Amino acid sequence: MYDLYKHVVWHSQPYKKILLVMKLTTLLLLVGILQVSASALAQKVTLHVRNAQLLDVLQQIRVQTGYDFAYTGKDLGATKPVTIDVKNDELADVLQRVFDGQPLDYAINNKAIVVSVKQPSLLDKVKAAQDPDKMDVHGKVVGEDGLSLPGAIVMIKGTGNSRATDSKGEFTLKNVVPGSIIVISFIGYTRQEITVSGEMGTIILKPAENPLDEVEVIAYGQTSERLSTANTSSVTSKVIGEQPVSNPLLALEGRVPGLFITQSSGLSGTSVTVRIQGQNSMGNGNDPLYVVDGTPYTSQLLPGVGNILGIGSAGMNGVATYGSPFSYINPDDIERIDVLKGADATAIYGSRAANGAILITTKKGKAGETRVDLNIQNGWAQVTRQLPLLNTQEYLQMRHEAIANDGSTVQPTDYDINGLWDTTRNTNWEKQLIGGTAQYRDINASVSGGSTGTQYLVSIGDHRQTTVFPGNFADEKISGHFNITSASSNQKFHITFSGSYLADDNRLPSTYLTHAAITLAPDAPPLYNKDGSLNWAPAASGSSSWTNPLAGLYDTYQSVGYNLIANSVISYKLLPNLEFKSSFGYTNLNENETSETPLISTAPELRSTAVNYASYTYKNLGSWIIEPQVLYNTKIGKGALEALAGMTIQQDQSRVNAVNGSNYTSDALLGNVGAAAVITPGTNLVSDYKYNALFGRLNYNLEDKYILNLTARKDGSSRFGADNEFHEFGSVGGAWVFSNEAFFSNHIKFISFGKLRASYGTTGNDQIGDYQFLSLYTPTTAGNPYQGARGLLPGNLSNPYLQWEETKKLEFGLDFGLFKDRVLLSSNYYNNRSSNQLLFQNLPVITGFGSVVVNLPATVENSGWEFNISSTNIKAKDFSWTTGFNITVPQNKLVSFPGLSGSTYANQYVIGQSLSVQRLYHFQGVDPATGVYKVSSTTDPFNPAYPDDATSLVNTFPEFYGGFQNAIHYHQFELDFLFQFTKQKGPNYAFGFVPGTFNTNQPIYVLSRWQKPGDITTIQRYNADYGLVGQYFNATGSDAAYSDASYIRLKNVSLSWQFPEELIHSVHLKTCRINLQAQNLLTITKYKGLDPENESPYALPPLRMITAGIQAGF
Amino acid sequence: MNCNIKYNKSSSNCWMSTLIIFSILLFNSSCKKLVETGPQSTSVNADNVYTNDATAAAVLNGIYTTMSQEAFSDFTGPTAVPLYTGLSSDELTLYSGVYDPRFRAYYLNALQANNAGFEFWNSAYPIIYDANAAIEGLAASNALTSAVKQQLTGEAKMVRAFFYFYLVNLYGDVPLVLNTNYKANATLARTPKAMVYKQIISDLQDAVSTLSTTYVGADALTATTERTRPTKWAAAALLARVYLFYGNLSGDASNYVNAEQQATSIINNSAGYNLVTDLNGVFLANSNEAIWQLQPVIANINTQDAQVFILPETGPSSSTANPVYLSNYLLNSFENGDLRKVDWVSSIKVSDTTYFYPSKYKIKTVGAPLTEYLMMLRLGEQFLIRAEARVQQSNLSGAQSDLNAIRARAGLANTTANDRQSLLAAILRERRVELFTEWGHRWLDLKRTGTVGTVMSVVTPQKGGTWNISAQLYPLPLTDLRSDPALVQNPGY
Repeated sequence: MYDLYKHVVWHSQPYKKILLVMKLTTLLLLVGILQVSASALAQKVTLHVRNAQLLDVLQQIRVQTGYDFAYTGKDLGATKPVTIDVKNDELADVLQRVFDGQPLDYAINNKAIVVSVKQPSLLDKVKAAQDPDKMDVHGKVVGEDGLSLPGAIVMIKGTGNSRATDSKGEFTLKNVVPGSIIVISFIGYTRQEITVSGEMGTIILKPAENPLDEVEVIAYGQTSERLSTANTSSVTSKVIGEQPVSNPLLALEGRVPGLFITQSSGLSGTSVTVRIQGQNSMGNGNDPLYVVDGTPYTSQLLPGVGNILGIGSAGMNGVATYGSPFSYINPDDIERIDVLKGADATAIYGSRAANGAILITTKKGKAGETRVDLNIQNGWAQVTRQLPLLNTQEYLQMRHEAIANDGSTVQPTDYDINGLWDTTRNTNWEKQLIGGTAQYRDINASVSGGSTGTQYLVSIGDHRQTTVFPGNFADEKISGHFNITSASSNQKFHITFSGSYLADDNRLPSTYLTHAAITLAPDAPPLYNKDGSLNWAPAASGSSSWTNPLAGLYDTYQSVGYNLIANSVISYKLLPNLEFKSSFGYTNLNENETSETPLISTAPELRSTAVNYASYTYKNLGSWIIEPQVLYNTKIGKGALEALAGMTIQQDQSRVNAVNGSNYTSDALLGNVGAAAVITPGTNLVSDYKYNALFGRLNYNLEDKYILNLTARKDGSSRFGADNEFHEFGSVGGAWVFSNEAFFSNHIKFISFGKLRASYGTTGNDQIGDYQFLSLYTPTTAGNPYQGARGLLPGNLSNPYLQWEETKKLEFGLDFGLFKDRVLLSSNYYNNRSSNQLLFQNLPVITGFGSVVVNLPATVENSGWEFNISSTNIKAKDFSWTTGFNITVPQNKLVSFPGLSGSTYANQYVIGQSLSVQRLYHFQGVDPATGVYKVSSTTDPFNPAYPDDATSLVNTFPEFYGGFQNAIHYHQFELDFLFQFTKQKGPNYAFGFVPGTFNTNQPIYVLSRWQKPGDITTIQRYNADYGLVGQYFNATGSDAAYSDASYIRLKNVSLSWQFPEELIHSVHLKTCRINLQAQNLLTITKYKGLDPENESPYALPPLRMITAGIQAGF
Repeated sequence: MNCNIKYNKSSSNCWMSTLIIFSILLFNSSCKKLVETGPQSTSVNADNVYTNDATAAAVLNGIYTTMSQEAFSDFTGPTAVPLYTGLSSDELTLYSGVYDPRFRAYYLNALQANNAGFEFWNSAYPIIYDANAAIEGLAASNALTSAVKQQLTGEAKMVRAFFYFYLVNLYGDVPLVLNTNYKANATLARTPKAMVYKQIISDLQDAVSTLSTTYVGADALTATTERTRPTKWAAAALLARVYLFYGNLSGDASNYVNAEQQATSIINNSAGYNLVTDLNGVFLANSNEAIWQLQPVIANINTQDAQVFILPETGPSSSTANPVYLSNYLLNSFENGDLRKVDWVSSIKVSDTTYFYPSKYKIKTVGAPLTEYLMMLRLGEQFLIRAEARVQQSNLSGAQSDLNAIRARAGLANTTANDRQSLLAAILRERRVELFTEWGHRWLDLKRTGTVGTVMSVVTPQKGGTWNISAQLYPLPLTDLRSDPALVQNPGY
């Protein structure tokens, strides 16, 4: 405290120049904190000038402060024009900015400021004397926000002589020939070329406009597309913000080559399947590694009591889950998402990155004036497609025809046609049950700003989304995000801290109404009685004649989640080229789920023998990580070497604690487990995962022409047995920027950028459950413990020899920039081979369990081509048009599987085929004589033998997929739209759902059924008594049940209009725009079923969302 | 702030080396620790289970819990056998409103491998694994009290034998899995029935010789009145049945001698077991007739049989809640004055139609105290086993006396059957009305006596299906056929 005060007092005396140039930010901060007024510095200045003469500016300052300036006219002759925009800023601060880059020094002397010509140092004078033709050059490189840019490369053009800026962003080049040109480059900024002068002052770099120079976030660092040896893609906050999605992963759909995303349903919070460059693992663990601000984030939620958010996953080997962990991250808090694909990009993540990595970077504050941003979106959503179904007349005809076909008569239980139900009704159940409009609301506000030393950002968000179901269901999230970044005045010490917290309350029914919507008879009874109660349409016996679909809405599911993500990076530069750094991360995801089944959802006649029940789960996933790192860079020969070494210590703990209650005195008490007459334990799990690694990277860059990148990692994981805990991974990547060769730059002018790159390396996969190598006994959880004691049973088959699954990745890329980089082409070939497959091996149940985790000697190959083209078609002041197109042609193949025919997979996989291959009967249509489905069979076409007769192979792996996007900017208007396309085959709904049976409506495809001998058709005769259900299942298990599920979808449209500047300023806004956004606006497909993306007749299809919003900054 | 350059450099070098050395030390000394997790607090490592009596006993406890709890809605569990075999045979009628294809497939003897028929297989083998794990773990353990070890080993063998008995009767030849080596077991082929029977007999002989003669509690040691863990008598009772069945299969008459011997050992234990004269008391918890019962473990309910079979006032339901009622074939096979038709059959009249349903178990009320346990083995069956074994040994008077003991309790006069053929028929009919909807006796009896074809070729068409002799065996699950190439499907599927 005393010291601090002394500093302040010290300034009220006359001083040397050096005191003034000391980091005033620190002092100003102290002044602010201590509330000490130091008269010389307390003067406030307000200036708004653009390209003004220095003299005029000084004059204004004199008027405002009363300080006099001592200078001579001659001194000011060579000054540069001044642009400054400050409001009530400290005089000292203003002076520093005004004199920044001027060939002048200044000193404050009492109430006067003495301005003098900058004197070269003694050393400079000596040197200049020795070699009068050459000079020393000094300068400082900063960004637009005024923050210095340490590590920027300053190169003397044509000499290869280069130097990096120091921790203050300053550089000195010795013995430079006057008239030389220096090139200053820094990742994420536009390179600048300037003719040298002795004192170059402050050089401001502008953020990169050329996409080649934009920052790309990579593992433990960053690079640019120009210099990267790897295959990575990025999506930025602008693109994310244009899409009304509550899960940030959905914003990536169709935008990144090599990335295939499937949304399992149209509910908020629903699971999302993400596959990078295909399916590497045959059994389990095809999720990429997710990293949020350097901290690994879970790819799966823990098991809970409800699965409505997880079921329905289709697409590339979708597996049932419990919803998406990314619904606990606010998309508005995300600055960018980077997708890492090949070995070079991912090998440094070792055992966890075989399936690629997705790095999420949250928003950070920027230096400058305090800025408030507000973003409000409001919208509406509906299902994208309705399945055409039979109307009542067609339905009734089907039922009567079916009963006639069976040689039967209308039974007392055929309520739909025996007179109990009103056959004149014709209800569109799709409209009634899933045809509603979901409301969407998203509000985000942020405050950001800071000085050159410290920047901050605080934001809050509120998101609410209802469902298309009748009833009061909604997902509401409230989130907060905070970031502070600070640097010491000498720029050696940096600290950044970010925290995000999101609270989510998701209320849903326990099941989808989708299947009811497409199968309820159109003459089924009204939902409600006249008195407003649920209509169970009892028959004469008193039995309910149907299960009222709305009863399902009383069975509710609620998930309340809280997610904390916090991380901090502390770094210290010991030497200009040596930095110590450590990141610290902590995540804590808490979920409380409640599933309630009240008596009221049971048919009235069954209530006397039924009980109401409820399940409660507490789930917690806590994880911490520490990653100390050392960064070192040096010059070797003409090139620059960057070295990184680091270490990871990570521990996760998962807890699931479930309790079931039953027999509550009232449905109203279902939320209180204490009110249950019987309480039984549910799933209880405490699981630890420990992970530990050493990693390193060497990057050598020779004149931005030849770049070599080596990475290595030694990994240890607790998921493996004692002998196999550790393993090494590594990669080598290289790039040749051939456009920097003289031959190119001189002769092939239209190619402005060209790079050839290749990488090879190994990555691993440890995505199996914890403790799989141990044989564990778990307690039984019966309601009445047997003989009053809890039992103990084997919980799994153990395999103590478990090892890593390894993926070898090979990649070649060719990148071009044409016509001054207006057209950018990127092509990529990848070939990833995964071996020693770590998976749940299906076992016959005679072994006691259906599966065990093993390493199988099988090899899966994912290969493919990725192309990405972006072009700036038009670029004028008021009109610009850019186009992007990406396409991926993937191939997935089981290359080898020694012993497949004798293994448990003999009937599931075929060597040389995709892992998604389906073994099916070959459909032979309907037997014209009997009207029954036939399939190819060596024995009986009506009763084929499995698997012998299942000889038809259908591959559901996508043939190609991609996106086509356009951005058009015209005056105040901006229009962005994205078409997403996939060519694939998938399971259809062409055979309906057992046509002819009681209370099951059908798609209109079944109208072409067989009616009389001789009919040639593909739908068998209607059948009411399930006598043909076996043949129905033969057909749904045949190749005709799979058909084209390709689609082109207008995935996203965003139209915005920016208010004119005059208008904005008149209401004291900085920016203001209104927008219309839409998701899944239009789908073009021939798919026979509800939706070609999730391909499910059970889950809710993805929704079409339209929102209107306003974004304002002030 | 303005430090001496030289000082700064040397100090940083020093820091750097310290940090690097520290990191290396940290990693090398603790990397093992950093990836080793402590014992999981929610489960027990297998190595520690058989090291003390309590955890070892809990394994068998877990097995009984599983046997008792598998929910009916999963189409497994104890109710599945009487329900499905009752539908397949002539015991139960499927309510016309039931549209679940699985029920219809059982009822019409039209199972398909992709449809149903594998439920019992899928629930039996995991329990056999648990029993195998227990047998192996107990054998390898030296830390247990010998009485406990002996009792638990006997119980595990009893359980294994019980499930193999049902597997071999429902599916024919089945893979004989006797250890936990999943690698070897994953490719097992089916073992001929006779071999499976021999294993069952061997397991039961072991169980008879090792199991306690009195009932024990959850610690497998303390005496209790709860008849919920197998005893020597339970093993003998099952062994008597198995000998009888194996005698039918093999034609080896020595099995009937053994069957009689085992049954006699129980019948003679009058201190332990008596026929309960009040028929309404037979199925109560720990009744005198019970040789082995399963305690219900599902919250709020007594037996699952009562939940499924007892019809509500609205009659049978089209859902899976109450899909069946007693068939006329069964009802007509009761003689006049049979008290079992009075006490073990109830009816409900719904709009002019009367539905009869089994009411051996009577407590359906939710939340009622536990007063009924699921009967696994009871004395009544032993009289009928011995009667049949005696006929097979031409001891007709002995057979008549056993048969009459059962008839007398039901309020019926002595049997008039007096030769081998008529006595065997009388015993079969008596079994039908004594043991209906208990553990599938009717279906199993039809098959072992070779009468299934003659009976079902009449009944199935009347149910609306077509009888094919291949329907007497249920299909193996497709999932197992896929993952075990050595398995062959039963004919007709």
